[in-house]
Amino acid sequence: MSQQPSKQRHLITVTNPRSPVSEAFRALRTNIDFSSVDKQIQIIMVTSSGPEEGKSTVTANLAAAYAQADKKVLLIDGDLRKPTAHKTFSLSNRAGLSSLLSQQAELEDVVQDSGVTNLSIMTSGPIPPNPAEMMASNRMSAVLQELRQRYDMILFDTPPLLAVTDAQIVASKSDGVIMVVSYGKVKRDIAAKAKANLDRVGAKMLGVVLNNVKRKASEGYYYYYYGN
Amino acid sequence: MSAQELDLRDYFQIVRKRLWMIVSIVVVVCILAGVYSLYIKNPVYEASTKIIVNQTPTQSTVAQLDLNQINTNIQLINTYKEIIKTPAILDVVAKNYPQFNITAEDLLKKVNVSSVNNTQVMTLVVRDNSYQKAAEIVNAISLVFKQEIPSLFNVQNVSILNEAKVDPPVAPGPVEPNVVMNLAIAFIVSLMIGLGIAFLLEYLDDTLKTEEDIEKYLGLPTIAMITRLGQEETKSTELQAQKLTRKAGELEHVTAAK
Repeated sequence: MSQQPSKQRHLITVTNPRSPVSEAFRALRTNIDFSSVDKQIQIIMVTSSGPEEGKSTVTANLAAAYAQADKKVLLIDGDLRKPTAHKTFSLSNRAGLSSLLSQQAELEDVVQDSGVTNLSIMTSGPIPPNPAEMMASNRMSAVLQELRQRYDMILFDTPPLLAVTDAQIVASKSDGVIMVVSYGKVKRDIAAKAKANLDRVGAKMLGVVLNNVKRKASEGYYYYYYGN
Repeated sequence: MSAQELDLRDYFQIVRKRLWMIVSIVVVVCILAGVYSLYIKNPVYEASTKIIVNQTPTQSTVAQLDLNQINTNIQLINTYKEIIKTPAILDVVAKNYPQFNITAEDLLKKVNVSSVNNTQVMTLVVRDNSYQKAAEIVNAISLVFKQEIPSLFNVQNVSILNEAKVDPPVAPGPVEPNVVMNLAIAFIVSLMIGLGIAFLLEYLDDTLKTEEDIEKYLGLPTIAMITRLGQEETKSTELQAQKLTRKAGELEHVTAAK
């Protein structure tokens, strides 16, 4: 059991599925499922304007929420610069997305079991010198095409939008983009700039996840352990 | 847009959010004001005499109260009030009482003359850091005034009703600083400053906080609100983890299993 709960990325949907926060992730899952009528959303990218807004936490929890809905889920750590998924799930990062894209490993070698039923993880792999080029490569498109056949849902964790261009590239290859906004941390024009970056590559914006919202004392009791 | 208009609850919210800042500003300012009032500012004492302006019967042809005479005296008081504050009196006080070691200009700052409307009584008040000195000065001024008036007006119509007691049986308290008043002012002013800063900070804060903000500035829907993982969640997480050892165990031992 972790002694530093504040720093540790909580997979709360797994460890405490009855909590209101887990409920919020399930609501997010539902909202995504119903946000597109014609086209099925299979590849979702999660990003944010700046660092440390909770992209990886949201991605991991959303992936777990999908896995709990009996979908075959793959979480890809697309942050080739500051990867975190292997830490969240306590996995090895010796081989991952970068090894796959640089043809040093096969798909089967880089997909790891997360320990959560139905949820597989592809860690980032060794940090490459040219992440943006790797993301933009034809190999990447081919890999995604292959993954579409194997998984119901593919979630992409990415670097921040305004820091590097990686997320823009991945956005153009995804079916939907979720932007995480940390409550009270992101200035309006910064967020607008990040959104403009996504619009420029024709990303399909699913919406915003407002993260780290301060809980008001009066709120949250409606479904707080409802039916417990 | 509704986001622009703050309703009353929003104001409470803003105040509650920065309550600690406001409280600390108020506390610090009040402590400073209290320390200043009690320890730094010298206390000021007040002593007063009353002077009555009336014609002595020897000068009056008729030995009875004459309304005209009284009115004249009342009018005279206004003149006397000014005369007391001129060098004609204060210079003499400064010269005749060298033990005060005080100039006429300083005396002018200490002395205050007032009269109640339509009475023949005027009050002389002197403030000083020592009560005894204040009493001595006010007595001296009254005396000099009484002595000097005949040479200025050629009338003998001023008498001293009561002198200030130099050694009163009960030591009088200082009139200044008024600790309670200073604290009250400090409290109100600092509270207003604190609230002002809180609202200013809120106004200057242009970060995204609500679904309305996101809709307005990004044109995107908010599809989820994830609250901060609070203490309770972490606690219940651990409780839950203890109960559901299978799940927690799987998570913990993934590396070992691999």
